[in-house]
Amino acid sequence: MKEYEPTIIAFVCNWCTYTAADLAGTSRLIQPHNVRLIRMMCTGMVDPKYVIKSLLEGADAVLISGCHPGDCHYINGNLKARRRVKLLKEILPRFGFDERRLKMTWIGASEGIDFAETVRSMVLEIKALGPNEARRQIM
Amino acid sequence: MKEKIGSALIVGAGISGIRSALDLAEMNYHVILIDRAPHIGGTLRQLDRQFPDDHCGMCKMLPLVDRDAASQYCLRKGLFHENIDIMLSTDLVSLEGEPGRFQATLRFKPSLVDPGRCMGCGECARVCPVEIPDEFNAGLTLRKAVYLPVPHNIPNHYVVDEAACIRCGECQKVCPTEAIDLKLESRRAFRILVVDDELVVRDSIKEWLEDEGFSVDMAESGVEAVEKLGKREYGLMLLDVKMPGMDGVQVLKAARDMRPELPVMMMTAYATVETAVEAIKMGARDYLMKPFDIEKLVSIVVQYYQDTESIPERRVDVGAVILAAGFESSDAGLVKDTYGYGQLPNVVTSIEFERLLSGTGPSQGKLLRPADGRPAEKIAWLQCVGSRNLHLNADYCSSICCMYSIKEALLAKKHNGGNVDASIFYMDMRTFGKDFQRYRDRAQQEHGVKFIRSRVHSVEPGASNGSLSIVYSDPAGTVCQEEFDMVVLATGQKAPRGTSALAEVAGVELNPWGFCRVSDFSLTRTSRDGVFVSGSFSGLRDVSESLIQAGSASLCASALLHSKGGELAEVAHERYPVREVSREMPLTALAVCSCGEILERAAGLSGIVETLQKAGLVSEVFRFDRLCTRSDWEDLRKKTESTRCNRVLIGACLPYVYGKKLKELSRSAGLATSLMDVVDIRTPAFPGLDGDKRSVSRHILTAIEMALARLRGVDSLSPVHTEVIRKALVVGGGIAGMTAALAIADHGFHVDLVERSPQLGGNLRTLHRTIEGSSPRDLLERTLSRIEKHPLLTVHMNARVVHSQGRVGRFLTTLEKEDGRGEAIEHGVCILATGGKEAAPRSYCYGDSEAIVTQHELEGMFREGVLDPSRLGIVAMIQCVDSREEGRNYCSRVCCVSALKNALYLKERNPDTDVYILYRDMMTYGFLETYYTQARRAGVIFIRYDLEDRPAVEVIDGRLKVSVLDTVLGRQIILEPGLLVLSTGIVPAEHVREAEVFGLSINEDGFLMEAESKWRPVDFMRQGVFLCGLAHSPRSITESIAMAEAAAQRALGLLCRRELPIGSTVAEVRQSLCSLCERCIAACPYGARWRNEEEDRIEVDQPACQGCGSCAAVCPNGASVILGFRDQQILAVIDAALEQVGG
Repeated sequence: MKEYEPTIIAFVCNWCTYTAADLAGTSRLIQPHNVRLIRMMCTGMVDPKYVIKSLLEGADAVLISGCHPGDCHYINGNLKARRRVKLLKEILPRFGFDERRLKMTWIGASEGIDFAETVRSMVLEIKALGPNEARRQIM
Repeated sequence: MKEKIGSALIVGAGISGIRSALDLAEMNYHVILIDRAPHIGGTLRQLDRQFPDDHCGMCKMLPLVDRDAASQYCLRKGLFHENIDIMLSTDLVSLEGEPGRFQATLRFKPSLVDPGRCMGCGECARVCPVEIPDEFNAGLTLRKAVYLPVPHNIPNHYVVDEAACIRCGECQKVCPTEAIDLKLESRRAFRILVVDDELVVRDSIKEWLEDEGFSVDMAESGVEAVEKLGKREYGLMLLDVKMPGMDGVQVLKAARDMRPELPVMMMTAYATVETAVEAIKMGARDYLMKPFDIEKLVSIVVQYYQDTESIPERRVDVGAVILAAGFESSDAGLVKDTYGYGQLPNVVTSIEFERLLSGTGPSQGKLLRPADGRPAEKIAWLQCVGSRNLHLNADYCSSICCMYSIKEALLAKKHNGGNVDASIFYMDMRTFGKDFQRYRDRAQQEHGVKFIRSRVHSVEPGASNGSLSIVYSDPAGTVCQEEFDMVVLATGQKAPRGTSALAEVAGVELNPWGFCRVSDFSLTRTSRDGVFVSGSFSGLRDVSESLIQAGSASLCASALLHSKGGELAEVAHERYPVREVSREMPLTALAVCSCGEILERAAGLSGIVETLQKAGLVSEVFRFDRLCTRSDWEDLRKKTESTRCNRVLIGACLPYVYGKKLKELSRSAGLATSLMDVVDIRTPAFPGLDGDKRSVSRHILTAIEMALARLRGVDSLSPVHTEVIRKALVVGGGIAGMTAALAIADHGFHVDLVERSPQLGGNLRTLHRTIEGSSPRDLLERTLSRIEKHPLLTVHMNARVVHSQGRVGRFLTTLEKEDGRGEAIEHGVCILATGGKEAAPRSYCYGDSEAIVTQHELEGMFREGVLDPSRLGIVAMIQCVDSREEGRNYCSRVCCVSALKNALYLKERNPDTDVYILYRDMMTYGFLETYYTQARRAGVIFIRYDLEDRPAVEVIDGRLKVSVLDTVLGRQIILEPGLLVLSTGIVPAEHVREAEVFGLSINEDGFLMEAESKWRPVDFMRQGVFLCGLAHSPRSITESIAMAEAAAQRALGLLCRRELPIGSTVAEVRQSLCSLCERCIAACPYGARWRNEEEDRIEVDQPACQGCGSCAAVCPNGASVILGFRDQQILAVIDAALEQVGG
């Protein structure tokens, strides 16, 4: 049987991580097939409901990634996102999700290698965690 | 009638060139931005973070108002703006004409890779057998001969390094888009005749040149050569001078008769040089001396070959030229004997160290020693390598090295979790910029960076493997030695290669150090009218200063274009008719590019398209073989003109390159750009990522579905535009305020200039002369007379701003006059130039004796002529009075120069006066260093003191006694000066009220806080309000003028528009859902939302809104929405992303 391949929804900011992800792709650094990139202008616009919706719809994990602290194009949107992620991690278990299914990172525009590495290690972690069964249980 | 030439040429696409280009482009001038290199970004492309906050943020330079006109992605990766033509690998070869009407000739060096076809897949580099050091990583990694100049650029096209290429042709074979043409045939067609009687010479030249791909014939005698010339065409003849029988000169004569066009190079031994010179007079092009330097010979031949190639030249008419050619790092190889650079691999330059720290660097951001890959735990920085060095004609300070060394030390500590022992060996720590001193103090006190004042003697191999031993002498002269893992040389800057050639072409003069010379009281005016200079090309400066100067250059260029061209190019937001589609059902046309059938093979593209059609997701499909070609693009343009669809999605490679193209498509199809998108379907099918066709296909299908989902929910309504009140308000009538006001008025806009005191001029009134010898008084008189005469300037004396309301483009501000009367002024922009003044001393017995004065007071005495220098005896000056320590912990930047200026003046008037300057660090940055040298030569005595042992001053019976510990002698020195001058520095004006009125912040030292210290130095976070001069931070007259020009430039970028355009990604409020909780107002970083009390609703200042979406994320009711990123859209995208997973 083919090994289980997790699906990760990645909300990435337009300025830093999206460009890093693009770089990772064009430099052939990653197997992008695990990741569904959703470009946002800023991680600060990622509404918690997007995260919960993704997990409910069957994503095995959600990655939110933006500019390094201090580098945000919009001054501090990434820090707003960090606060939100902290709260989300507290409430995710109540929806039946392991909090490890949500991850937040800072990846700068030229750090294609970092993006590839983040995705690679996240895929390994989620594989160890197993598929997200929440959707099946709810349905 | 004069023809209007509303365009400018900018030479150099580094950070200052980009700033100038954006400035002018925002004013709707056409800009041609050229760079010799095949990339933009200059030095900044190699630096990840900048001092004094260790962050990046280059993207913050992008336009804030007409955002959609420019690229909206990381500026380190690339730039586009609809008014800027970027031409890379291009040189300026001639510049004729006069200010306002220049004809510039540009020469483009063609690349062997067609950028229109290259999609950056990298197959070519994979097969290239050549490996040479990569400049991007400062030579620490290897690259191929076909390579990406910057790995993360967008668009990123490969280029061929012709010097390194061995012409094996492998890349040409594998390129899937046939983008590479090595022109092997045309090289082979270039036939060279080598004439020499010595076989070994003929053979070796033949071998070298054939390796380069040329065809070579040989002749062993003059007779044979002439015979061969009769039979065949040659591109070049290499001809020996001395041959038996018919010699070189005779052959040359014959050749001139037979083939007058044939270039001939003489080859000569030392003995026959004179004959060779004679030959040149007879028509030979040049001569080569034996024994040959292979590289030189080859490069000359390649040059002749390239000359025969038609190198495209382009002539352009421009009104103004800005030179922003930047700088070059000084050569660390010059200190190889003392510091071991090039011999000890763990001795690196600062730029190499930056690359070692970088995620895109040789060790992916791990701080490892180049020699053995072991972690570097103890690192030393050596300052002033290549600067402050008379032997290298570098009697200047490079201004930035102290700060970047601190930054590198801090970043190194951060990289290794604080486990790096960092020491900086320095002469003076020059922390003269805003917030620089505190940055240094934090580095020392909180992060443990060691600052060692010293003279470094040498760097030698250390005791353990790879370690380095630094031998230095401390201030007392004791020789010390310490071991380190790694040594970083803080290399200074020098004028870039090709400067003198560029100066000649542009007709500008250079200063004694090879940088561009500027005129008095200007950082940007060169010796040629209409040619301005921007950035480090005129001297050494950091990012923020470069951007200020770039703004000043663009202001000068714009003023010229405006005056010569008749009038300012007016920016009405360009509107072309677009279809109103909000009431239509979303119908999407999908255009897919199969990349020459590759996607068909790798992913079954037609199957994907069929699936989408069957699912009813796309209404129309256009297929293309190569959408990157002009013909296919034209085809698409025609097809979209007649489509009934109201959305267009393009599936192709490199979505980033479509910015400009989509505008084109939008215009011809009559559809708003927001209704179009590009999705990358090429990358997933790159070979090597995943060979499984099914999975590639699924991935592409999902990507298209996600893009379709987003596009379906797009709003097509065009937002309302705000009309601009085209008048400016300038607060503060010092030199900065006056300069800014005049600059704006000169562009034809009315300016109200408000001054609190009864007269204009500020500090200019108290200054005697500048260190360069110019007169501030003359400057003041010139400026005042221009202000008086200017019809568009209204000056309000004895007035203050007391209230202001409104927003960018529309302000209403109330002034309070001396008599208590108020006056309301409408304006679109505001510049704050509230200034500052010399601080009053609080220490050193100031006030106890008339012989204790401040530097300003001393200048006043010079001006009034009340000081008799012949009778002063001893003059002592104390620097950093009450400053650079908590309370006022910043450097005032001008005091060291003032002290030198006044000391030199005293020495000039009476060389017998003993002048002592008691200092902590001499802050003679840039070319000011030369005055420090002059002062020492003139016999001014400099005594350094530490904060712990500051000088003591006593007044005993009216006589002064100054005692200070001389750290070099280690002894207390007693001076009895006739005059004691205190350098107290600058404090900001009382502008708390002005800051409150305009809603601005003030820093802990009382200076106004700019939006961003590096990237937006003259902006405030509040849009439409700008700052300049001493209100920002201490600076010289010239620097204040430059800053005022930069601020005026930013203000003009708004004033030149009738209405402010609004980005397509912008916030809106759905009033019916809004509960007026005001969370969105608190969340908005731009202050672009407010509560309209009259109508009880939340309003968005759309021109100021940047579309970050913070408001939408905090809104509990979904009332705050971002156009282009509505909840429904994102939720639909998530559905599409997971459809094949869950469903």
